[in-house]
Amino acid sequence: MLSERVVTDVLLAAMSTGGDFAEIFLEDTYNTQIRMLDGAVDEAVSGRDFGVGIRIFQGLKCVYAYTNEIDREGLIRAAREAAAALHGAPAGRAVVLSRLAVERFNPVRLEPQQVPHQDKVEVMKRAHLAAAGFHHQITQVAVSYLDVDQNVFIANSEGLFVEDRRVRTRLSINAVASKDGEKQSAFRGPGRHMGFELFDRIDVEEIARDAARSAVTMVNAAYAPGGKYPVIIDNGFGGVIFHEACGHSLEATSVAKGLSEFSGRLGQKVASELVTAVDDGTIPNAWGSQNIDDEGTQTRRNVLIEKGILKGYMIDRFNARRMGMEPTGSSRRQSYKFAPTSRMTNTFICAGESTREEIIANTEYALYAKQMGGGSVNPATGEFNFAVAEGYMVRGGRIAEPVRGATLIGKGSEILQKIDMVASNLATGQGMCGSVSGSIPADVGQPTIRVSEITVGGRKEAK
Amino acid sequence: MDFRELKDRVFAAGQSAGLEELEVYATRTKNLHVAVFEGAVDDYRASLEQGAGLRARWAGRIGYAYVEKLDDDSVEYLVAGAKAAAQINESADEVEFHAGSGSYPQVSCFSQELAGVSPEELVAFCLDLERAALAADKRVAKVNRVLTGYEETEVYIANTRGLEQRFASNAAYGYVSALAKQDGQVKAGSKFLVERDWSKFNAARLAGEAAAEAVSLLGASSVPSGNYRILLRSDVARQLLATFVPVFSAEAVQKGLSLLKGKLDAEIASPLVTLVDDPLLEQGVGSVPFDGEGVASRRKQVIAAGRLVTYLHNLKTARKDGVESTGNASRPSFKSPVGIAPTNFFIEPGEQGFSDLTSALGDGLVIIDVQGTHSGANPVSGDFSLGAYGYLVEGGRVVRPVEQITIAGNFFRLLESVEAVGSDLEFGSLGGRGNMGSPSLIISSLAVAGV
Repeated sequence: MLSERVVTDVLLAAMSTGGDFAEIFLEDTYNTQIRMLDGAVDEAVSGRDFGVGIRIFQGLKCVYAYTNEIDREGLIRAAREAAAALHGAPAGRAVVLSRLAVERFNPVRLEPQQVPHQDKVEVMKRAHLAAAGFHHQITQVAVSYLDVDQNVFIANSEGLFVEDRRVRTRLSINAVASKDGEKQSAFRGPGRHMGFELFDRIDVEEIARDAARSAVTMVNAAYAPGGKYPVIIDNGFGGVIFHEACGHSLEATSVAKGLSEFSGRLGQKVASELVTAVDDGTIPNAWGSQNIDDEGTQTRRNVLIEKGILKGYMIDRFNARRMGMEPTGSSRRQSYKFAPTSRMTNTFICAGESTREEIIANTEYALYAKQMGGGSVNPATGEFNFAVAEGYMVRGGRIAEPVRGATLIGKGSEILQKIDMVASNLATGQGMCGSVSGSIPADVGQPTIRVSEITVGGRKEAK
Repeated sequence: MDFRELKDRVFAAGQSAGLEELEVYATRTKNLHVAVFEGAVDDYRASLEQGAGLRARWAGRIGYAYVEKLDDDSVEYLVAGAKAAAQINESADEVEFHAGSGSYPQVSCFSQELAGVSPEELVAFCLDLERAALAADKRVAKVNRVLTGYEETEVYIANTRGLEQRFASNAAYGYVSALAKQDGQVKAGSKFLVERDWSKFNAARLAGEAAAEAVSLLGASSVPSGNYRILLRSDVARQLLATFVPVFSAEAVQKGLSLLKGKLDAEIASPLVTLVDDPLLEQGVGSVPFDGEGVASRRKQVIAAGRLVTYLHNLKTARKDGVESTGNASRPSFKSPVGIAPTNFFIEPGEQGFSDLTSALGDGLVIIDVQGTHSGANPVSGDFSLGAYGYLVEGGRVVRPVEQITIAGNFFRLLESVEAVGSDLEFGSLGGRGNMGSPSLIISSLAVAGV
């Protein structure tokens, strides 16, 4: 992609004003997006993203510049422009690059660039037919397809010189059910770090029917009662609660500056002893997996919480300086347009010993959140909110009527302490996670869990 | 290669590849972003980026492709990519490429004065913001996020019908979030400003407001669940408007994704509500001389005293409905297909100031922030259920701060139940969705979940 000579010159130019570390991130990404509404493709885009980001550290200062002009001149200009924000003399350090081989554990069998568009459209039509034919109340089905083939090259002044390739494929299904002028929609978005072979691994029809079932259930549901009461959150995408309520607060981005409620609490009990949680970027072909992170560090399995005790954070190279700790292979970015920082990969609560049936049978009154929507958190205060996409009331140990429109709010640290049952049915779901370094693919996951109480936003009084 | 040269080469290559019509939409953006932490710059980002999107028709169908590298390979990639995309398109919608609007309005969307602000001045403003927030009140323990930035964009559009137009725009932004601490409680207060007028960047005022808000929330607790009279502060009203903006798009209406279908000329809001889209607004951050298809900009009322006057249209949806385009074709980026978005989109202000509205509220809640609009709100049904905080008001006076509540309701019912509209119209730009504005609004009732 770039010659060692050019890379060396750019890194030296970047450090010409006193920078003590410089890094180049070059990206050449091909992607395909296809949108289908009611069974007919109505939009398709082929795109190529291409550019370079240059990052410089001087102690605890960080400077970033990016450009699409990637000839030698353009790169040197960008490096100098960034360097101009720092003040100092060059350290006179030499840059000796050495090529690093990446261990690739996310094999790609069918490269999306080699698969005809027509085959992608076929898969979308199967999804459409399965969802649209599920029930007469399904009035609309939108399906979209995405593949991304990201080729990156990373080099830094410590001699790193490495290339990696990330291929991701995702299908999204949005089913809308209507009744008496009201509409409810349900979303499913299976994706993996792999090529078109994704569609040999998942049951497209089954997933599409599940989206339709969820939308129909919700359009026939009454509003959820508001108030503070127990909540059972199902496995899979339910893990978004941990992702939002705790995961973001364990990223060095907020921990390093003492802004997180978990800052300075390693070794302390922060959760119920039923809770063990990890962030693992090494699961072969998982949506959030990467061979190396976006500053070239090998990804790994990071234990965050073990039996309720805080064990670790997710740390990038820059925040590692502030914290005096080692990077954990957690540095990610949406593209060359973002400076990387600590982010989640595949984050989940580990399996416990109960079963979903036991949890429900042991619950007198609760909201059963079968499908979660998205959410967000303010890491400074720990306050989170997220939407329940498909909910039911639990009464007397049984699942009762479906309910819609519920929102869960609370503080991450409080919820972690209130998890009082954990099932063994660990599963994951795919999401796009937005934060300072952009929008990145991330898996969330958990087994079915019960939280003794959460504030549920709804329209009626509880009980 | 510059945009015009790229256009010439793409048109030539495209026509020999059998593409019937072609349109190039290209942008070049210069950006500077500065963040400060504890008296030092800890994030400084400078960028120069460009890119070009091709929209092309093949066998009557539309395909898109984009590139960021403008070289020989890219000409080939654009043409082949757009053709491959068109080949799978099954949409029967007729898409018209615009030959030009004859004359275009003069719009003030670029400030030379702002363009002359140096990186050093932006850094100094950011440092001032942090200092001022810390100095504002001794209970402010930390400034967790403070940043400023400048962005300048040049837009170029040309097609094989003869359209060729360009314009430049710029804006600066500032954001400060302060944390106040007392008795183990941490509260955040933040302010965001996006403006083209550099004289509006007053660090003491912005930081003072953020700090005062954080401090004012100390001691907050929840309230009992129930229905409450609600005063939505202007920034919250604006955020809700932004969340539900897709319902005004003719595309959503035509696809059956907006409950405003069939409501033209109907009363859909309180008579106090007049909603305007004005791309010609003086100093408006969303002001543009033409839209994403090259159609000349014009001001329009969307809701006039409660009555729905028009949807927002681009050429495709306008042709389908047999009306004129409202000039709301949007291309949030050269990567994006043509969609629909407002420009400067706002509820017209009324007479009463914020304190008058608080008195008029009587007993109820002032909401000063909502969270989760991307997940807890459904633009299709209009339903929302959002985390919120603010103040409890009794007898027209603020009695204490409130936290850990949600407000739930429906956007369409909310429009109908506006009881008063304030005079405090304020704008805030939200990504590619346009520049939104609203005054503060009194809503007769929303469901609140607390304890």
